[in-house]
Amino acid sequence: MTHSRKVYGLGAEFESAAALMAAAEKIRDTGFSHWDVHTPFPIHGMDKAMGLGKSKLSAVVFVGGLMGLLTGVGLVTIPSLYIYPMIVHGKPYTWATLPAFFPIIFELTVLFSAFTAVATMLALNQLPRFHHPVFNWDRFTKFTDDGFMMVIEAKDAKFSESRTKALLEEIGGKNVTLIHD
Amino acid sequence: MSHSTESSHLSAEHFDAPAAKKLSSLSFGISALGLLVSAFGLFNSREQFAFSWLFGFVLVFTLCVGALFWTILHHATDSEWGILVRRQMENLAGIIPALSVFFLPLLFLCAPILWKWWNVAPGADPLLDGKAAFLNHTFFSLRFVLYFVGLGGVAMVLVSRSKAQDEDGSSAHTFAMRKAAIIGLPVLGVCLTFAAVDWLMGLDYHWFSTMWGVYIFAGAAGSSMALLVLIITGLRNSGYLKAVNVEHYHVMGKFMLAFTVFWAYIGYSQYMLIWYANIPEETIYFKIRATESWHILSTLLVVGRFFIPFPFLLFQSTKKNPKVLCFVAAWMITMQILDLYLIVLPSLHQTGLAVSVYDFAAVAAVGGAAAGLFFKRLPMTCLFPKRDPRLAGSVNLHN
Repeated sequence: MTHSRKVYGLGAEFESAAALMAAAEKIRDTGFSHWDVHTPFPIHGMDKAMGLGKSKLSAVVFVGGLMGLLTGVGLVTIPSLYIYPMIVHGKPYTWATLPAFFPIIFELTVLFSAFTAVATMLALNQLPRFHHPVFNWDRFTKFTDDGFMMVIEAKDAKFSESRTKALLEEIGGKNVTLIHD
Repeated sequence: MSHSTESSHLSAEHFDAPAAKKLSSLSFGISALGLLVSAFGLFNSREQFAFSWLFGFVLVFTLCVGALFWTILHHATDSEWGILVRRQMENLAGIIPALSVFFLPLLFLCAPILWKWWNVAPGADPLLDGKAAFLNHTFFSLRFVLYFVGLGGVAMVLVSRSKAQDEDGSSAHTFAMRKAAIIGLPVLGVCLTFAAVDWLMGLDYHWFSTMWGVYIFAGAAGSSMALLVLIITGLRNSGYLKAVNVEHYHVMGKFMLAFTVFWAYIGYSQYMLIWYANIPEETIYFKIRATESWHILSTLLVVGRFFIPFPFLLFQSTKKNPKVLCFVAAWMITMQILDLYLIVLPSLHQTGLAVSVYDFAAVAAVGGAAAGLFFKRLPMTCLFPKRDPRLAGSVNLHN
């Protein structure tokens, strides 16, 4: 790690989940927007403490599910009602006999929703990727064990190497470290 | 989610006793009026009375058993979100033992009218002879007793333990209720399934559906959660239970959504298997309910029980809006009424809808009595389990 490389951000360690939560509330109130916390386990209420708001995922999944529904309806009705209308099991296929196709329509809705959910989740998280600058910080891997980490990115408008460092130390951050790309 | 060390800062709340007395007297008054009209029907138009009364009885029964289901589920899954609203589920479930009285007129006076197998002589119908081991007077009456011993017993254990915890605050009650709930879960499943088979599927002993029990359960659980939403909102609007917030409404809304979908899933599965196989002894059920005016109501049920509430409940914003959620809850209960009406009454009026005054009288009689009991017991305990060790977790609920 040479210091001629671009600064990615500032990392800080906190004592506990509670300390990290309190720190997150302060950072949120200061008005930072490009920052994240990294913990060994999910912390209930952290989304509120960080001011994250509602995830965009559900809206996208709704559209995905709707596409699945329409695909399902189209896939079963166009061939069976219009292209190859046949009488199967004594039932002429009309819109009134659509219940016969419900399982397919239902499954396609679920399938499309699931695919959309996974793909959108990965896209929103910018995954998959080979490397992330936070791993240039040697202490960072503690977050999978007993570390409660916070990283503020340099691209944040309010970021300043010296003042943000002082702020992180003031709210209880230990080992505040400059992370490079 | 759980902040066990935090205190809840909640002081005990008791429903105003004079107000409860007023509501209780009003409910019992409505019940008395319904009873009077029903008694007239019992002697003058027994056939209509029998079906109407069964409809009214099963309606209230499913709502109360649904509440027992949520109480049991709450303890069996060791959940924390609903401790604040649990007492109201318990109050509803506590009505179950008293409901057994309302079944007696059917058992003693109307059984041959409702359940056609009742007076069929052995050998007269080979299809009945095959089922005689199950469909006979002794076993039928014994099962009726067992349902109420089972369901009422579980309800009484859970209600009394919860009240005892209000007194001494001992966590031993929490563990005892958890054990009772885990035993109660199969008891509820078996009792509700067989009760549905005995009382409703038995209206036509030739007909059968393996989905029947779970279909009745799906309707009961969903509408009971809707009723809970209405009760909680009613209490909040009267100035109680201010600790219940949008997070709790969100959870209750999620359960309403789950059981809207579940009802549709079960109802559709039952319909599709019967419709597709197209065997006359199975299709007769839907054939009657697709006759004349019943067809309109059946269509309304499918649209109203699933397609209307589903888009409302799908979105977080509507579940977090108590006003909208209450509207959907009231709608769901209306649809539960329609559902049971479509199960019971077409057996009598096979050619189409024929509304009778005894339909309303039965609902008023049984429903009024249940509501009267509910309001009578409401002020006797704190409106939430005040000394549940994990109350704080429910107060500080985050979804």
